[in-house]
Amino acid sequence: MEATKTAVKPAAAAIAVRDLTFAYAAAPVLQDVSFGLEKRAVGLLGPNGSGKTTLLRALLGHLPLKRGAVSVMGCDMARDPRGARRRLGWMPERGGILPGMSGVAMVAYLGELGGMPPTDALQRAHEVLNYVGLADERYREADTYSQGMRQRLKLAQALVHDPDWLLLDEPTSGLDPRGRVSMLELMRDLAAHKGFGIILSTHLLADVREVCQEILVLRQGRLLSHGRVEAAPPGATAQFLVEGFGDEPAFQAALRDAGLEAVRRERLLEITAPADAGARLVLAAASASGFALRRLQPRRETLEDLFYQLVDDADDARKD
Amino acid sequence: MPVYERGYRPWEHSGRRARAPWWTIARRGIAEPLKSRRLLFLLAVAWVPAIVKGGILYFTFQMGELSRLIGGKWTDIGPRGFLTYLGWQSPFVLILLAIVGSGLISRDRRENGLALYLARPLGVRDYVLGKGAVVMFYYFAVTLLPVWALCLFGYLVTSGATGMQMLLLIPLQALAYCLVTGAGFTLVLLALSSVGQRTVFVALWWVLLYAGTDGLAEIMSLFSPGLQILNFPGQFLNAGIVFFGGEPLCEVPPAASLLVVLAYAALGAWVLRRRIKPVEVVA
Repeated sequence: MEATKTAVKPAAAAIAVRDLTFAYAAAPVLQDVSFGLEKRAVGLLGPNGSGKTTLLRALLGHLPLKRGAVSVMGCDMARDPRGARRRLGWMPERGGILPGMSGVAMVAYLGELGGMPPTDALQRAHEVLNYVGLADERYREADTYSQGMRQRLKLAQALVHDPDWLLLDEPTSGLDPRGRVSMLELMRDLAAHKGFGIILSTHLLADVREVCQEILVLRQGRLLSHGRVEAAPPGATAQFLVEGFGDEPAFQAALRDAGLEAVRRERLLEITAPADAGARLVLAAASASGFALRRLQPRRETLEDLFYQLVDDADDARKD
Repeated sequence: MPVYERGYRPWEHSGRRARAPWWTIARRGIAEPLKSRRLLFLLAVAWVPAIVKGGILYFTFQMGELSRLIGGKWTDIGPRGFLTYLGWQSPFVLILLAIVGSGLISRDRRENGLALYLARPLGVRDYVLGKGAVVMFYYFAVTLLPVWALCLFGYLVTSGATGMQMLLLIPLQALAYCLVTGAGFTLVLLALSSVGQRTVFVALWWVLLYAGTDGLAEIMSLFSPGLQILNFPGQFLNAGIVFFGGEPLCEVPPAASLLVVLAYAALGAWVLRRRIKPVEVVA
């Protein structure tokens, strides 16, 4: 994955954000955030507290902005919030289920509130619930839905009024692996084949890689990076975390003999090895040196990795 | 079934008109409690005094002065008699609004529903208007509607009633009174609902405000009659004298009671203005 500068100017974009600044009390949450997005799937990345959800709320016009402007499909949020919101569908992370209603009633109700005539809203509610895979459960009370079904229901209510953009806040949160795959499949289909723009707020890099073509990285309320996600070819090398006991210098020598790099990170060894045969080579080196392995774990790329890479790049650029 | 087999098609507008957002909220809020048989029973019971009054009016006309002596205030078909009737409805107002109104906003707040509403093309006013219409509907159902029905019935069965009074004057007086007091009750109840997230606590606060101040004011008025001004429902009723005429119901001038009602309404509106936000921002 790599992040490169995008060429979309805020003024010409489907979603344009200019100098967005917002603070809770004295603490700034968003600072001079500016970007422009074309209608495509965009990942909004950042650690907890980086301002992702606040940015989504600002896009919805929910926050009294200190400074800045948001426009959605040409509608200025300050001047025409209803027009702008008609083009947005929001899936919240927390809550988002109206109690005491069946799935279809809730989606139809929110469709009506989205500006649809009642009959259209009811028909659309059935259609989108079928699309998200809740057709069989649509008459059940939404309160009784499982976490996976709740997430689908929240996606359905975001879709019902056929917006241009979907703002999805941690949509795979709390899902089991099968539910997560299914949700990612839906998001990918919506972005790639159904023409929706998606802003996917998450701290899971893998979700962004699955769905998005572009990323926004926030850190401490500042836009750290805005770039395209380009699917990198399967890496030539992979990293493994190793823990064990025995003659470690001999193990490290065996690793060097096998052409592998090992760096100590506190009580773990981080080994860089060819992706296709890395684990086999590590095991062979351990066997040859008599080093007993307690743990051999492929190191997953995390958001932090991307962050540190971006921060390092920024620091390097500053030094140059 | 895989996603690509389920299909998705964009919304094709039928050309029909969409409802106003507040009306959508109000319709849902009104219809939902009606699914409860207990509430329907309560509504039916709340009409019993009106039916009894109607029966007494009928027999008064049929039997003359004798039944008037037995019926007492129940036979009064003047404006003041209808205000007395509205006073009798006070327990029903207390219970019904506690059931219907306590959860209107608190449940939305608990489920992050407020943000869900306000992410749609509607404003805070639509939301409050819709929720308020629910409370007003149920308030009218046990106050204004029975009064109107009694007016019509009284005009039909009694000899002393004039069409001008029973079909125009009293219904309009009742409408004005119920609009003002209903708005006051509604704004106060919605404000309470917007402060809490647990419906049961909101209901408790409502009952304390309504019944608690009633009892407290009764005790306090032993020391100073003017302290009747602390009586929350009492002030709403006493304000009715401004609309229906007659002697004040307590030591507080009716105009002052009306100001108290308006102050409650303003306070409720102020709380709602502060509380109904998609995001709670600490200023």
